[in-house]
Amino acid sequence: MDILAVSDPFIKALIANDFLQRALFTGLLIGFVTPLIGSFVVIKRLSFIADTLSHFSLAGLSIGTYLITVLGFVWIADELYLAMIFSVIGAFIIEILRGYYQNYKEISMPIVMSMGTALSGLFISLSGGISLKLYNYLFGTILTVDDGFVRVITVVTVVVVLLLVIFYKQMVMISFDETYAKLLGIKVRRFQFMSTLILAVVVSISLATVGVLLVSSLMIIPVAGAMKVGKSFKNTVSIAILFSEISVVGGLWLSYELDFPTGATIVLCNVTILLSIGIIKYFINLYRLKSDKMTTT
Amino acid sequence: MRVNVTNLTFGYDYRTVLKDISFSLKSGDFLAIVGNNGSGKSTLIKCMLGINKIPNSKIFLDDIDITNYKNFRNIGYVPQKFDDFNYEFPITVNEILSASRYSKLSEDDVLLILDKIGILELQNENINNLSGGQLQRVFIARALMNKPKLLILDEPTVGVDKENVTAFYKAINELNQEGITVILITHNLREADCHFTHMISLHNGEGVFKEVVREDE
Ligand SMILES: Nc1ncnc2c1ncn2[C@@H]1O[C@H](COP(=O)(O)OP(=O)(O)OP(=O)(O)O)[C@@H](O)[C@H]1O
Ligand SMILES: [Mg+2]
Repeated sequence: MDILAVSDPFIKALIANDFLQRALFTGLLIGFVTPLIGSFVVIKRLSFIADTLSHFSLAGLSIGTYLITVLGFVWIADELYLAMIFSVIGAFIIEILRGYYQNYKEISMPIVMSMGTALSGLFISLSGGISLKLYNYLFGTILTVDDGFVRVITVVTVVVVLLLVIFYKQMVMISFDETYAKLLGIKVRRFQFMSTLILAVVVSISLATVGVLLVSSLMIIPVAGAMKVGKSFKNTVSIAILFSEISVVGGLWLSYELDFPTGATIVLCNVTILLSIGIIKYFINLYRLKSDKMTTT
Repeated sequence: MRVNVTNLTFGYDYRTVLKDISFSLKSGDFLAIVGNNGSGKSTLIKCMLGINKIPNSKIFLDDIDITNYKNFRNIGYVPQKFDDFNYEFPITVNEILSASRYSKLSEDDVLLILDKIGILELQNENINNLSGGQLQRVFIARALMNKPKLLILDEPTVGVDKENVTAFYKAINELNQEGITVILITHNLREADCHFTHMISLHNGEGVFKEVVREDE
């Protein structure tokens, strides 16, 4: 951001600028809720859903841009609201297709993803090419979120966390063993629907931080790292959230100091943590192997 | 739990697997299901669990048509294969068991069950670190979490070592004595040292049901 004197240290800038405070607050909320949802997504082996929905939200963003800039529907206020609606619509379509192709459930993803991408292409072109605002949504615009959207994100986070706390047992059972969940009388389809809906809303609010192309990484990468070190389910989810929050704070700080794009820097922090875990685990195993050999010879 | 099966015929797609099966069990009965590989044993119990969809008036649990049955929590089930379970994500034995628990089983009762099944010391282990036999025992314990009135066990002791097999059947016999109906699929009637009251043998889809009269009684 050019408005700032970059020489100011991050903390000082944070205290002085409420747009940075908003960005940090938003980032922390999204950093909390994405790995939480992401854990269930990973267990169900649905990692592609987030990507599919974010591409479908892009259609919402481009249609929003078209409606606002070309047709002058300014009352829409922000394309992000349309992105949210589209994400939910995309989730509905995925659910319908998954019921339709019982044995080829993953077929729904490329269908919905290409629908979203095609619609985006069409409406971007109708709006006279990609605008700067739309371009920003590809990689995230956390520094420009306004108070209204911060409120939306806060409400969504609270609701999602409450739902997961209330239905913790059911969600765990469905994720790990659907057949047994049915036997326990859990309404599997109803919960599946609820989780897809939650996922859709979380995807669309996360667009603000890291953008369409990187949303799924927020959900998946911290979980992928935590899975390798977690001792239990709760432990793994907590570690994933910790990794995610470290990346948000680290990413925001680094992007400020180095003048890097924020969303990309957050994701790169996540990737760095994941790689470090891989490397550390590799050396620990190597060391164990060696000391085992020492004791046997 | 009372179980009534009347003229049950069931198949996948075009092939009929079960032909006209009928039998009935009272509370506290112990049924052994035997038959060759592919004879339809697992298929039969999946019909009783509502996993395989069947027409009306074929199976009754406590006189309620299974198509209207709601309280499947009353049934403890140990499946033959655990393909349905997702392993790779970390979760401990305790976490699985408490997510499956909807009854008012006290913590002490749970510990008692774990002890009986021989997995007391595995409570906080990650399931990814368990051996096949240990995992099998976790699923046996899971089947007991909701104070079942009917236990359905599909070759539950495959891969479990001899000592634990003995302990397991001892526990099952005890539960049966308390009045729980048990249905057990096994290839090894002798190993399953149980007090069977009934037996059904499946062959080419047809079932022969008979009462077991124990010589020592
Ligand atoms: N989901 C399914 N879809 C189609 N066919 C199936 C399905 N499950 C089982 N079958 C078929 O039904 C027949 C009976 O299978 P089932 O699993 O009931 O046998 P089983 O008696 O339990 O055998 P085993 O001793 O090997 O466990 C087999 O020929 C099998 O191929
Ligand atoms: Mg079988």
